Amino acid sequence: MEIIRDLIALLFFPSGLVLLVLSLFYEWVDRKLLAQFQNRIGPRWFQPFADVIKLLAKEEVIPQGVDRRLFIPLPIVGLAGVLTAAIYVPIMGMAPSHSFKGDLIVTVYLLSLLTLCMGLAGSNTIGRFSLVGATRTLTQLFSYEAPFLLALLGPAIVAGSWQISEITAYTENRWLLLTQPFGFLVALIGLMGKLELPPFDAPEAETEIVAGALTGYSGRGLALFHLGKGVEMLIGLTLIAAFYLGGVSNPLLFFVKTLALLLIMAGLQALLARLRIDQTVGVWWRYGALLVLVQWMVIIVSKGPVL
Amino acid sequence: MEEQQEVEQFMVPIGPQHPALKEPGHFLITVDGEIVTNAVVRLGYAHRGIEKATEERNWVRNLYLLERICGICSHIHATAYCLGLERLAEVEAPPRAQAIRVLVAELERIHSHMLWLGVAAHEAGFDSLFMYSWRDRETVMDLLENLTGNRVNYSANVLGGVKCDIDIVQADTIFMALEFLQERTRHYLDVVTSDAMFLQRTRGIGVMTRLQAEVLGVVGPTARASGVHRDIRAEAPYSAYPSYPVRVVCEEKGDLEARFVVRINELFESYRIIRLILEDLPPGELREKMPRRIREGETVSRVEAPRGELFYFIKSNGTDKPERIKVRTPTICNMMSVVKLAIGHQLADVPMILAGIDPCFSCNDRMIILERSHAKQEVWSWERLRQHGIEYYHGNHS
Amino acid sequence: MRFATMLSDVLPSLFKSPMTEMYPFERKEPPVHLRTLPSWKLEDCTGCGLCAMDCPSQAIEMIVLDKKAKRFVMCFHVDRCTFCAQCIYSCRQGCLEMTPENWELATLNKNALTLYYGDRVDVEEVLATAASSKDAQTTAG
Repeated sequence: MEIIRDLIALLFFPSGLVLLVLSLFYEWVDRKLLAQFQNRIGPRWFQPFADVIKLLAKEEVIPQGVDRRLFIPLPIVGLAGVLTAAIYVPIMGMAPSHSFKGDLIVTVYLLSLLTLCMGLAGSNTIGRFSLVGATRTLTQLFSYEAPFLLALLGPAIVAGSWQISEITAYTENRWLLLTQPFGFLVALIGLMGKLELPPFDAPEAETEIVAGALTGYSGRGLALFHLGKGVEMLIGLTLIAAFYLGGVSNPLLFFVKTLALLLIMAGLQALLARLRIDQTVGVWWRYGALLVLVQWMVIIVSKGPVL
Repeated sequence: MEEQQEVEQFMVPIGPQHPALKEPGHFLITVDGEIVTNAVVRLGYAHRGIEKATEERNWVRNLYLLERICGICSHIHATAYCLGLERLAEVEAPPRAQAIRVLVAELERIHSHMLWLGVAAHEAGFDSLFMYSWRDRETVMDLLENLTGNRVNYSANVLGGVKCDIDIVQADTIFMALEFLQERTRHYLDVVTSDAMFLQRTRGIGVMTRLQAEVLGVVGPTARASGVHRDIRAEAPYSAYPSYPVRVVCEEKGDLEARFVVRINELFESYRIIRLILEDLPPGELREKMPRRIREGETVSRVEAPRGELFYFIKSNGTDKPERIKVRTPTICNMMSVVKLAIGHQLADVPMILAGIDPCFSCNDRMIILERSHAKQEVWSWERLRQHGIEYYHGNHS
Repeated sequence: MRFATMLSDVLPSLFKSPMTEMYPFERKEPPVHLRTLPSWKLEDCTGCGLCAMDCPSQAIEMIVLDKKAKRFVMCFHVDRCTFCAQCIYSCRQGCLEMTPENWELATLNKNALTLYYGDRVDVEEVLATAASSKDAQTTAG
């Protein structure tokens, strides 16, 4: 029985098929909202699905000068990483299917695994755009990663646990957004940096370096990375909604809160112009890290000694 | 020695096919990390042999061929050709026709500058500005369609005059549209001069001093952004511009922001001129009769295209076909400034600097054969040129 | 220096319908001066061929069957036409005209893009000659 339950958790829900479909749906919502903000129509609901199916059906071209032993597994590892992360997260308001002490850290690092895989994929090729893109991807990873992690740890400290299920139990009906506004801001913008959405899309700025680290990918590899990004966005939104917006204890609350977050994210994407990579680093270390450290100080002082 | 250097240098090729370039061109950029240390430009991917092709067509058909040199500033090409040819034939287009020519040219400038605003915003990753400026550009496209009958390549000109007339209803439509556009343009000026994120990409980037601009021979809004007070409409007024004088829009700073400001302020200037023309449109005929054969002679015609000075040399041998037509488009003058300005900037700024001159590649691509030895001069036929092109590109392939 | 200067555009757009026109489902009236298919009046034509000579894309072929009897057929290639309206201004008799009615010219059949204007008998004769010359070409080839 245990095995069947695990298999369902891995292949169907919360990780696996349902998650993939849901993430594509969220991608469509994001694109549609961005289009609406820009007074356009935007894609129809099946566009992300059609994109992925088309890419999966296409021939995968392996460029010259890449190491095949890395080129093929990297997208799989990246997607597997984020899918694994999903089983510790309350997707669709359900309790996480697996949980242990400190799974928050594991989840955040599994999410970074995808970025790392993309960086590796870019530096694996001899394509100039990929190499520049990979450098930028990894540079960006080092700039947003620490503030983002610290921002997610803020709620963990007040909850007194580094286990996602315990934190969500604590934040249930407690809107930490009100007590930790800086943390919320940094977490949300950190998620945008993680997903390489505008204004943090320098690593894949099409007008400079085509598609960044993934320029060499086509077909299945690109589709898997694409799916991975979608899942990452969904998990990120879930975590932020669960930690800062008073929890996601049932599917209705989950959808309302994550879609509201997505609305804000799409609005920010529409409003901000792209930053250069050096400016991105500057923004994160000058303002992001500072804001979140101030937040931490407030938490620690108000809570008294934790450890 | 040279090979060794090549290994050490990290070169990023931009183009001929690249998402930043809407037309084919090739930039080989040497970078040190993200900093550009050298840039080389190679043009000619969109060479179409138009100058040669004109020699095989009669004067009337050439009007439409030359109009297609550029898809954005098509009317100004036709106007330059018409003005030159009318001077050769000693025919003067009626004042009303001249005024309408200027009117269409200014509408075209509006559409070109708004298109550029969108493209430049897109290069900076500011897609909302891109979408909104193109949405509003649709207004002026509709005006042009309403006025001339076509959205692009309006063919408003005919040798000796214009085709389209303006009635009161159309004038009212234009007045209303200008009202809307003026308000929107004011908003865009506010955006490009005050948006903190966008200014990070434009302020102090690609600074070209006045001296540099003069040495590099930069023309048009790019030069005016560096304080070079030069505009053909003002310094050598052609067509109806003597009756509707233009104020030259200048900026001193010479960076990308100044180029945005100059182009947007030029939009206001265009609105003002269009209003002047519509309020005071001379009555009369639209066309003057033009002979089919143009008497022998040669002439030069200069006009201010949206991108800068456009230069036409026309030579007639007394038949109904030209002996030679030479076109110099503004982009070719501005192109070298990109290569010079890119050095020392970040790789991310290169597309912005390139977009800053408002490049039009297929406009400037024409062929020059340089004979280093004193070999005999030869004239190629259209067929020979075509064959040369086929062999050239075929040879490159294999 | 301000942030989010486009807010006054972006935020209201959320509650506005998109600007995009849903073309095949919603059609706007074409502009009054839109240039589309030229129409040709046979009665006034002298068969001088100026329209064909001045056409920049060689979309017009003037086939003269008998100049004295005024038997002309105008073969018009819609697919080549750039709608510049030069033919209308080249014609001294004013027998060509462009009106904004017929502007949706897309078709799946390339033959539909070659139009023959003229007397019915003459057109049939031209078509017959064209067909026979094509036959001759194919047999020769």
